[in-house]
Amino acid sequence: MLSLLRPLHYQAWLTVTLIVVLTGCNATPANKNAILLAQNGQYEQAKTTIETTYSATGKNKLLRHLELGTLYHLEQQYELSNEHLDTAKAIIEEQYTVSVSEQALALLSGPTYTTFAGKEFHRPMINVFKALNYNALANRHPAQRQYYLDAALVEMRQLDTYLSTLTDETGGYDGEPSGDGLTDSIMRVLQPLLAPNDLLKNIDYKDDAFAHYISGLLYESSNELDAARIQYQRAATAFEQGFAEQYNLKTTVTKQAYLDLARVMRKAGGYGNELVALEEKWGGGMTKTKQAGPRLTVIQNAGIGPQRKEFNLLLKADHSAKALVVTPIVWGTPAERKAQMWWFQMLYADTSLFDMMQNYATGDLGDVAMGALTKRLPLGDSLWQSAKTSGLIDALEHGSRIAVTYLEPFEQKIEKTELWLDGKKVTELDTYHSVSLLTLQSALKNANTEMQIALTREVVKAMTAHKAIQSTGLQAFDGFAKLATSVVNAVTAGADLRQWQSLPSHIKLAQVPVTQGTVNITLKTKLRSGRVIEQSDSLEINENMTLWHTRTFIESAKPAAPSTLFTME
Amino acid sequence: MNCKTTLLKLTPLVVACSLAITGCSSTKVQRVDANQEVALSDKWNGKDSQLVAEAMINDMLSFPWVNDHLQKEGSRPAIIIQSVRNKSHQHIAVDTFLNDLKRSILRSGQADFVANKDVRQEIRDERKDQELNASLETQNEMGQEQGADYALSGTINSFVDQQGGDRVTFYQVDLRLIDMTTNREVWNGQKKIQKLQERSRFGF
Repeated sequence: MLSLLRPLHYQAWLTVTLIVVLTGCNATPANKNAILLAQNGQYEQAKTTIETTYSATGKNKLLRHLELGTLYHLEQQYELSNEHLDTAKAIIEEQYTVSVSEQALALLSGPTYTTFAGKEFHRPMINVFKALNYNALANRHPAQRQYYLDAALVEMRQLDTYLSTLTDETGGYDGEPSGDGLTDSIMRVLQPLLAPNDLLKNIDYKDDAFAHYISGLLYESSNELDAARIQYQRAATAFEQGFAEQYNLKTTVTKQAYLDLARVMRKAGGYGNELVALEEKWGGGMTKTKQAGPRLTVIQNAGIGPQRKEFNLLLKADHSAKALVVTPIVWGTPAERKAQMWWFQMLYADTSLFDMMQNYATGDLGDVAMGALTKRLPLGDSLWQSAKTSGLIDALEHGSRIAVTYLEPFEQKIEKTELWLDGKKVTELDTYHSVSLLTLQSALKNANTEMQIALTREVVKAMTAHKAIQSTGLQAFDGFAKLATSVVNAVTAGADLRQWQSLPSHIKLAQVPVTQGTVNITLKTKLRSGRVIEQSDSLEINENMTLWHTRTFIESAKPAAPSTLFTME
Repeated sequence: MNCKTTLLKLTPLVVACSLAITGCSSTKVQRVDANQEVALSDKWNGKDSQLVAEAMINDMLSFPWVNDHLQKEGSRPAIIIQSVRNKSHQHIAVDTFLNDLKRSILRSGQADFVANKDVRQEIRDERKDQELNASLETQNEMGQEQGADYALSGTINSFVDQQGGDRVTFYQVDLRLIDMTTNREVWNGQKKIQKLQERSRFGF
């Protein structure tokens, strides 16, 4: 047996295995397929795809309810959407208590064996989506308007509790980011291979200015001016102190939050000094009378968020240099390979991650080095000996495949979105939140942890197998057994690609003064390709603040057509 | 991150334990008394609704306005529930709470109840139908409704304080009774409920 294997060389076997394994990587996940079906109006097929892929009781039950919640939202079945989103919220709450047994098994098998618990920004997104659903129901049923607006405010109060806890933990945009605190000995050895911690500053999800802003709008709709003022103040402060920069938003967004704050202060009365201070800081407009009267806020959820994909690395021991070496195994289409290399460089290069991330977010990958880029950790004599004694070096003789995630690059395809009321253009929408950047930053922030866990998992698997081989005393088969272990580990290594896929890429918004009565809304989304997507609706304007939302799919297979063909409130 | 790092160290022990307890869980359903409190979370539940309604109506009927009305009008007061707005952080079935209020008022025997606007309209439609289709002896006359003397309204508010897995939720129900002739507030009641929920960070 050994004589047969040796000429072929173990490395070749491992390479063949990796090729076979990698060929199956990065297949389109079911929830991506579902949202692609939904963007072409095939809601029933989309829902069936979700229901058949993600069971109501399995480890992916959260994904089932998140995706169905979005699909029903798009279908304007708001009550059903809220039922699913409510269940999703309950599942996230349950996950506060971490199942030690499940986590431990996942550490030896893979992250996909855990129950999907969502990301920290999913909970506020659920609250916002549910509130938009209730707001749409309020618009649809004028007789029960206050009842539905009250229900929307319940979501906003829950959101406030969540964000208060979040800002307590993260310090918000005023405080210090929390540290990692590595103690494990394997991790201490591996730590220099990972991204330097200071490269990952300023990308924490610390607070949510957009969620506070939506909260302010909804409180104002119900004429609860004190609560609206507090939420606008929180939104404006967070936008100003870092949220706008972090998510690449214009300063007009911050100014609009302050304009709203000034408006509710004037309505409530008694804030003369604060209004003067705002006037001095932001100039004219804060006290203008055109800010009074009924107002319409249009929210456009645009596009589809980027997909998580698998990225593979090979961890090996270099005996001659007494070093550990991580080599990226780029795979897939040329664009995917380029993205994987860029991701590797982003996490390990000593340049500013923030600048590179902004380029990545715009799809501007430039000319990255596609050569044999590696990250090398010289251990030195004493550490090398220590690693050898523990069995780490022997375990890595044939290398260990480490599977982590990366996020596909996304590009801004919308040139501008115009708001037309009763046949007249009134303004253009600004981007108020980038869910794509939020997802990207979350993925980058977790990449370090994910890689630590993946490295440790694969090393533990390799070392356990190595010790088992030694205990059998069959040293003649040692080489083959090590190869077999490497092959098995290469096959079982896998990254956790699960995410709420149907979220929009960007959220755009505009606010304009209107008069009470019925108004005809048209949104004209102009793409960089020259295509124009039109969406229309009519809406009854109320005395305070009226909210209207829509979803615009950029890649819809349907031809551009005017009017209601594309209307999806 | 810290949680996962800690778990790495506990892996061997936990794997053994988890394998040992695998298969122990099962689904079990049992019938329980509707009056028995089954609190699975700190959310507002049916028992809260029932207890608050009983306590507040008892308080309301202990105020002097009931006897004052009896002496002045010679009949039991008629009450209408206008609205109870949910301003809490939980979705509360306000209709259920209103029904608990109604039951408490009716059970006391000290006050009458007038149906709300939607129900009144349905009954009026029924009477119109009777005029056309029912026999003269069984028809009910229009214009004989009892008007409400007092209007009951209020709010449910809540505050939440959270630290780690511990959460204190404070519910406050405020109700007021207004004399519909004079707009005088004859009663103002308040009931508070505080709940503590403790969750552990780790479990099997």
